[in-house]
This record gives sequence, C-alpha cells and structure tokens, in this order.
Amino acid sequence: MKKINLKKKPIVVIDETLDFFNDKVLFPEKLEKANKMLKEIGLPKKEKNTIANNG
Amino acid sequence: MKLARYELKSGEKLEVFEFVSVGKKGRIYKMVQYSKTNYKGVYNLAFGDKNTMTGELDDMSISNNGDSEKVLATVVATPYAFFDSHPDAYVYATGSTESRTRLYQMGISKYLEEGLNDFEIFGEIESNWEEFKRDTNYLSFLVKLKEK
Repeated sequence: MKKINLKKKPIVVIDETLDFFNDKVLFPEKLEKANKMLKEIGLPKKEKNTIANNG
Repeated sequence: MKLARYELKSGEKLEVFEFVSVGKKGRIYKMVQYSKTNYKGVYNLAFGDKNTMTGELDDMSISNNGDSEKVLATVVATPYAFFDSHPDAYVYATGSTESRTRLYQMGISKYLEEGLNDFEIFGEIESNWEEFKRDTNYLSFLVKLKEK
C-alpha cells in the first residue's frame, strides 16, 4: 500500500485558476527531453515490464 | 528538518503549482508542473519563472533572488502533494542544462535521508538506472512513492 507521509505534505491552497494549465505543457522542451530519454532507457529494470508505453 | 518554504498554490489535480519567491529582486512567480509523458503513469517535473507581464515561462533563468534554499525547499515539498493524489506515478526530472541538473542533484542529496523514508529515488547513469547515491553524477532522476 502506498501512502504519503501526511506530516510532510505541504499545505497547498487550491486555486482553481491554476486548473487552466492542467492540459497545457508549460515546459515543452523539458517534456520532449524527458520523452526522448525515457524512450532510450525506459524505467528501472524491475519495473520495466509493468509500465505500458502510451506512445 | 523543517525548512522555511513558500506557500504553495495548486489546481485541484495537484499537477501544477505556483509560489512567489520574495527576495532582493522583488517578487518572482515560480511555476512547478508535473506533466504526463508518453509513458503511462510517468510524469515529468519541470519548474521555472513566470513572467507576469507576458505569461511566458522560463526554465533557464537564474533568479539570484537570494532565497535559493527556500525555493528549493518549496519545490522539494511538491512531490508530497503530487504523490498524495498520484500514488502510483513515477516522476522524471532532469535539468534544462548540465548545471541545472547538478543543482537538482544537490537538492536531492540534501534531502536524501528524509526522502528515502518515503520515496524510491533512481539516478540515470550510462543509460541505466541505479539507486541514487550522493557521490555520483547523474543525467536525470526518477522518483516513485515507496510501498509501505
């Protein structure tokens, strides 16, 4: 079971105006770099087979 | 270790965060985004400055606002909120430059003991992932919530 340590969870003020950005890529070059690197090396080996490629 | 950090705002999905750095250069808006990659369940972490005049974001800027420790502590806090709503996700991070990647590395190293209580942290080296070690230089990082 995965649970976050609530003592460490920061207080986050929900600001619905930020939902505007949910489906927008704010840092496209970083995302492109991430996709390229993930394509090359995938995930750590013990996990590799459990993650489906959406691409 | 309780470090000062800025108040975080987020949308309801806890994938986009905003905070305001206050320092010698004034108020600088910072955005942190966890965006979906092409791989299911894997998100890319990126952050940078928001130009409040144009709305443009810059992940190359060096703010020099005199509050880098507080900014780092604030960014490092965001995974605790993100993983609370995305417990099965992986978070991938790399810098926009080599020096920025080293900054990430220093940030992870600084919070490593605390982070390892809650997360599995991997570093990319020679096209492989290994468990993060403080004295190794990595190209990128991958974090997931630990099974408890």
